[in-house]
Amino acid sequence: MLSYILRRIVATLPVMAIVALFVFSLLYIAPGDPAVVIAGDQASPEDVERIRQSLGLDRPFLIQFGSWVWRILHGDLGTSIFTNLPVSAMIGQRLGPTLSLMIVTLLLTIVVAVPLGVVAAWKAGSLIDRIIMGFAVFGFSLPVFVVGYMLAYIFALELEWLPVQGYTPLTQGFWPWLENLILPSIALGCVYIALVARITRAAMLEVLQQDYIRTARAKGLGQGGILFIHALKNAAVPIVTVIGIGIALLIGGAVVTESVFAIPGLGRLTIDAILRRDYPVILGIVLLFSFVYVLVNLMIDVIYTLVDPRIRY
Amino acid sequence: MDRRTVLKGLAGAGGLALTGVSAPAIAQGASARTLRFVPQANLANFDPIWGTQYVVRNAAALVWDTLYGIDAQLQPQRQMVESEETSDDGKIWTFKLRPGLKFHDGEPVLAKDVVASLARWAARDPMGLMIIAIQQELTAVDDRTFKWVLKQPFPKMLYALAKNNAPCSFIMPERIAKTDPFKQITEYVGSGPMKFAKSEWVPGAKSVFEKFTDYVPRQEKASWLAGGKQIMVDRVEWIVMPDPATAAAALQNGEVDWWENPIADLVPVLKKNRNISVDIGDPLGNIGSFRMNHLFAPFNDVRARRAVLMALSQEDYMRAIVGDDNALWKSLPGFFTPDTPVYNEMGGEILKGKRDFDAAKKLLAESGYSGQPVTCLVAQDQPITKAQGDVTADLLKRLGMNVDFVATDWGTVGSRRAAKTPPGQGGWNMFHSWHAGADCITPAAYTAIRANGEKAWFGWPNSPNTEKEITSWFDAKNLEEEKAAIGRVNKAAIEDVVYAPTGFFLTYTAWRKNVSGITKGPLPFFWGVSKSA
Repeated sequence: MLSYILRRIVATLPVMAIVALFVFSLLYIAPGDPAVVIAGDQASPEDVERIRQSLGLDRPFLIQFGSWVWRILHGDLGTSIFTNLPVSAMIGQRLGPTLSLMIVTLLLTIVVAVPLGVVAAWKAGSLIDRIIMGFAVFGFSLPVFVVGYMLAYIFALELEWLPVQGYTPLTQGFWPWLENLILPSIALGCVYIALVARITRAAMLEVLQQDYIRTARAKGLGQGGILFIHALKNAAVPIVTVIGIGIALLIGGAVVTESVFAIPGLGRLTIDAILRRDYPVILGIVLLFSFVYVLVNLMIDVIYTLVDPRIRY
Repeated sequence: MDRRTVLKGLAGAGGLALTGVSAPAIAQGASARTLRFVPQANLANFDPIWGTQYVVRNAAALVWDTLYGIDAQLQPQRQMVESEETSDDGKIWTFKLRPGLKFHDGEPVLAKDVVASLARWAARDPMGLMIIAIQQELTAVDDRTFKWVLKQPFPKMLYALAKNNAPCSFIMPERIAKTDPFKQITEYVGSGPMKFAKSEWVPGAKSVFEKFTDYVPRQEKASWLAGGKQIMVDRVEWIVMPDPATAAAALQNGEVDWWENPIADLVPVLKKNRNISVDIGDPLGNIGSFRMNHLFAPFNDVRARRAVLMALSQEDYMRAIVGDDNALWKSLPGFFTPDTPVYNEMGGEILKGKRDFDAAKKLLAESGYSGQPVTCLVAQDQPITKAQGDVTADLLKRLGMNVDFVATDWGTVGSRRAAKTPPGQGGWNMFHSWHAGADCITPAAYTAIRANGEKAWFGWPNSPNTEKEITSWFDAKNLEEEKAAIGRVNKAAIEDVVYAPTGFFLTYTAWRKNVSGITKGPLPFFWGVSKSA
């Protein structure tokens, strides 16, 4: 297993290199010019050109790409064109809020969606099942920003229970950290909860029709034991898969959620960087995200072996 | 005890048990000493010479002081300078600094710092470039005195040093000011009333300024960038809110104290809240514009440009930008900021009265327009340009023009508008923008009014008459001469349609009622602003 994990990690390098080349090429040919944004609205074309030269943006594609790759190989993600800060430091600043948002959302999803899916499967065809699946469709259909505004209006403005924006690091206390994350996590988690609940229900329905479940029932095992020990463990593979794939959804959703709740995370950094054509930052984030995707896939594969011992690599 | 406090208590206890880390107790007084402000945009960089966006200028005004400052009467007043002398022939300016000025690192402000700062500023500022063009020398005479020797008089010298248009002539330590003006500085050390807390800077999210206790304000009452800049709070936090609805909610919730520019749609909600004050932020407002490319057909023919002016309804543009609030806009039969000393409407008849589509279509036909596509660039990510673009598309279609509507983002418009190639080959026919009214009071910082062909702003208008009258404004010796010159500039620029002004509009600012001392001005002024618990 260890050699498999190492091989997979090594295999990420060419993937990331291809992604980097692809994104770098796209940025190079895309319209827009950071020098124009920097120079401001009143600047002359000569000013813009001098800024382009000072940033090295006038150099040929291969030289720009080569020097970027050279820096990456030396562990340097480069410097933001706009802030003049190291890209790694900027990503580091923004990683905490995004990770926090994703962790809370993920926990919320597992705690809410999996039991809902199990109960819906257990009560398949009943009113409870229809209500749960109805909520799932509802959650799936509502855009993140609509849910976000609704939550902010109800829980921040009307009830005054929770703040409407911002992020506080965990080092400043658990509640200050958590209170900023509750509403965005619910907003972001709605789609995710709906997805996981539906997959859980489908997987559980299939398992609940298996012979060994009937045997367990015949032996007099309690409903809780049947559902959460025997059935859920055997239905876990598709559930784990969808939770893993859903991390991609989370990253995409985080962009909107972070804007709506003014959370200074990677999503907002990405959008700002794209709008300003801050190439080093965009590339740094893309590399990070591609690495995360590969790691998540690897983790899913490892978890498969834990929930289903028949799976071997 | 309200429900939020209960929740906090419960979760806090849980948090203690889980992490062993407690939330710091924030004293009520500390909150009152911190002013939380939502700026108009993200402070993405912090070099006010390298990056000239308004948001950078606004933040820089806290950290870096200027030799002179413009006041609410639009007059330059001494700021870091104690006195100045001009030679009889107007060619030698000698300035003396106030005693006791200090930078944030504790070093005194010396004439050599000023010389280096002015040299860097002048390389990037339109008025600075004019001074450099006639400069003989700029030198430090002693620690507190410096001299600017010119080859010919420059009557607008004090205005150039006092103006609030970006880039302002901010004074930095010599070691920082020696940075190439086209490269970013990395140290943010000024002598202004607040220090920049670089360690707390999260570009795109938060910027923090702390009171500079060694700052020695002038004794006069503060007035815009002039006078005694008394800071009444310990900290000012700029919190970037990309979503206006969130900013509105945060202001209502008391999570922020002051929102620089609430959008018109949300103002009614804010006005209903008894804890919030709403008022016009900048009385100098903004001037909407769309620029036509003078290099290529159809707008290389003045008749086509005039046809557009004849048909253009400024009310349509302004309603698209500000909605139904009549207090926020007015027609503008010209190019200069209304209600300022030299404002003039000379020659503005074509923009007044009922719109004449028949005459406009006739004039357009006379220009030789025969249905070729008109490439109209519109930045959809900026509400003001998007609103104007929609109105223009409708206007041109009603004029019988074949509109190639390019909906894109500002980064692309900003880049593409610099292309001098034909519209079908990556160029363009028109794009939309707007100009801060503070920049349009006179031609001093009004790049958009310049009409010197290839050297002019995007669209490259060529109007010798406009240029001649701009020069006569620079040479004007008194207000009467200035006013007469501005009238002639206005007339010439309308005749040749340097660009199409789409109207004058204002924006609101909003703050919690426990904040006092907020004044109207072309940028948010933090001196004199205090906050009670």
